[in-house]
Amino acid sequence: MSARFPSAEWLHALEAKLNSDEKYAQIAKNWEGDLFFFIEPAGNLSQALTFYLDLWHGACRGVDYNPPAEKYPKPAFALRANYTDITAVLTGKLDPMAAMMTNKLKVQGSLAYMMRNVPTVLDFVRCAREVTTDIL
Amino acid sequence: MQPILKVNLTTHEIEEFHVPARWEQDFLGGASLGARLLYPSLTADLHPLSAESPLLFMTGPLTGTAGPVVGRFVICGKGPATGRWAESHIGGFWGPELRQAGYDGLWITGKAETPVYLWLHDGRLEFRDAVRIWGKDIYEAQSLIQEEVGRPRARVAVIGPAGENGVLLAGIFCDHGRAAGRTGLGAVMGAKNLKAVAVHGDKRTLPLARPETFAALRSASNRALKQENQSQVLHALGTSGAANFSEYLGAMPAKYYHQGSFPRVDAISGSRMAESILSGTSACQACVIACGRVVTLEDGARRKGPEYETIVAFGPNLLNDDLTAIVRLGELCDRYGMDTISVGNTIGLAFHLFEQGILSSADTGGLELTWGNVAVVEQLIHWMARREGIGAILAQGARRFGRYFGAEDEAIQVNGLELPYHDPRGVSGMALVYATSPRGACHNRSDYFMVDWGNINDEAGVDFFPVHAGAEKAANVARHQDWRTVYDSLVMCIFGNVPPQTQVELINAACGYDWTIADMLRCGERGWTLKRAINHRLGLTRADDKLPKALLQPYQEGGAAGYMIPFDEMLNAYYAARGWDPTTGRPTQEKLLSLGLDEVAEHLSFGTV
Repeated sequence: MSARFPSAEWLHALEAKLNSDEKYAQIAKNWEGDLFFFIEPAGNLSQALTFYLDLWHGACRGVDYNPPAEKYPKPAFALRANYTDITAVLTGKLDPMAAMMTNKLKVQGSLAYMMRNVPTVLDFVRCAREVTTDIL
Repeated sequence: MQPILKVNLTTHEIEEFHVPARWEQDFLGGASLGARLLYPSLTADLHPLSAESPLLFMTGPLTGTAGPVVGRFVICGKGPATGRWAESHIGGFWGPELRQAGYDGLWITGKAETPVYLWLHDGRLEFRDAVRIWGKDIYEAQSLIQEEVGRPRARVAVIGPAGENGVLLAGIFCDHGRAAGRTGLGAVMGAKNLKAVAVHGDKRTLPLARPETFAALRSASNRALKQENQSQVLHALGTSGAANFSEYLGAMPAKYYHQGSFPRVDAISGSRMAESILSGTSACQACVIACGRVVTLEDGARRKGPEYETIVAFGPNLLNDDLTAIVRLGELCDRYGMDTISVGNTIGLAFHLFEQGILSSADTGGLELTWGNVAVVEQLIHWMARREGIGAILAQGARRFGRYFGAEDEAIQVNGLELPYHDPRGVSGMALVYATSPRGACHNRSDYFMVDWGNINDEAGVDFFPVHAGAEKAANVARHQDWRTVYDSLVMCIFGNVPPQTQVELINAACGYDWTIADMLRCGERGWTLKRAINHRLGLTRADDKLPKALLQPYQEGGAAGYMIPFDEMLNAYYAARGWDPTTGRPTQEKLLSLGLDEVAEHLSFGTV
């Protein structure tokens, strides 16, 4: 299953991918924590957008498309990027680590946890890329 | 700029040297200007441990200004283990204090008859007897000197017993374990009977061409730097924050670069340290990052915590996953005044040769060098610092230790300097960095592993290439080296992601220039090329631009398993990018002249370089 980014279909396709991908299940087997993405307007995106993913032990327990931030006040990680940069990551034009190291992707949360789980982050991005057919 | 104070320890002559304006503009300061100053005296027949051998402490035009990550200084000379250009950078507070005392550098030659320390204060330099302090470790010596001069806030650059004993892995230290560890300049200082240089400055205002502009830039750039992801990781986790990622890539060498993975990496990571023994952080002067670790062990004492290099040196490199033991071994090296990278590497070689049967317990004073045996490592450190038993051979570094046992090829070193712990099989750009660094295998003249991880910069023209890209990244490596040479001229910390445009604006405001980023990078290339020319004078040839043989073999396991570095292709592409002669490895006349290095070009044409 795959879909155009960004859309609710895309987010559900990612959820399905994370729950069926054996490699992700193995790499992320110890991951415990939900993610809240803030995507700032840029390029073809005129209004801010949010995604929520509840990730737990190599699986995705739920997603929420464009929820208000107040609905998930304390996510394990809050990630913020503009639309141009996030789509560059999804299309492989921008390396996810480069996005973090150059502050194109801003991270809030436990840095100790994030840095010991970089392989999980990278494989999460692989899954996201694989469900993306095209970009708005 | 302020003058450089020249001091002759033999004659007690003191002289203020004013740097020609042209050199200031061409080389900016720090290590590059140091190379220009020492260019005439660093000859092939100069013995690094002789009285004539210079020891040059340099600051940069931003040092002490509270600009972003500039509370540093650099020490330059001729490396006693390498026989090549030596520069060793160090943080803390001493560099800013020297500028506050009215000098931008301290240029030491000669040899004192008996141990002395220098005491610079209130516009005066005193030669003080150090017999009472000789033999003390770096912390004791600093305290004793501060007490003796009656200024608890005096800053002291000091050597430990290892430097006194001529250990070629000895560094120069200040403050709470800040180290100019690499290239053995502590042995040069020891050979001069110089235990320490204490400084107390009283100037309030440092020279800035456009002070108001600088003040605004300083505040804005420090605020921005503090918000950076990388700064926050360094503050929270220290330099070992990326240990897990490095291991994942196969870039963290284990078992003396013969094992490509270390499954217990989490036990020694920055994350684990933060969650267990970390009790504080420490910072160099005015630094907003504060990457330094303060840890508390079972004895309740707060002490310096290890950074990434020390952790790998005494951890995975020796198959040890005991973080507390790593802290103690690192502290032991600091107290003796030795470089943890080189000590860990050289001991790793001993363990490797023991396993190979090249070394036996008959050579080691009865010690069984079994991987992970921390007690043995500790004993070897004591012997190295005191040059006792096999320690006397270890004290000469990996290349000479290997050579002594007929196994020089097994030593993981380049041009006499032991490799740090970023394996080029996991981050291939480091292959060129290690092979061409002006001071031997060095990860700081270009921290290209960070670029391979993703720390790219559009303004500087530093692009992203996959970790296992080959020749296609050679020009990018050269560009990054040039940019980092600017850092070395400013004596700016490479942990600070200061954007190049901000960097050049800071330079312009401090020095009164109107440089562009291109001008700044050209200054970097000039400094890099000059150091290269010095090394040619000291005997370097293309054949020396190489990697140890173990690194040209693929790992069997881990993130880099199966990868072989296409080194020859990379090096050829690098020479082409640099404009260097592919046969000799020397910068061409055209390149030298284009950089304004006319004097070097003239020497080269007459074969005297």
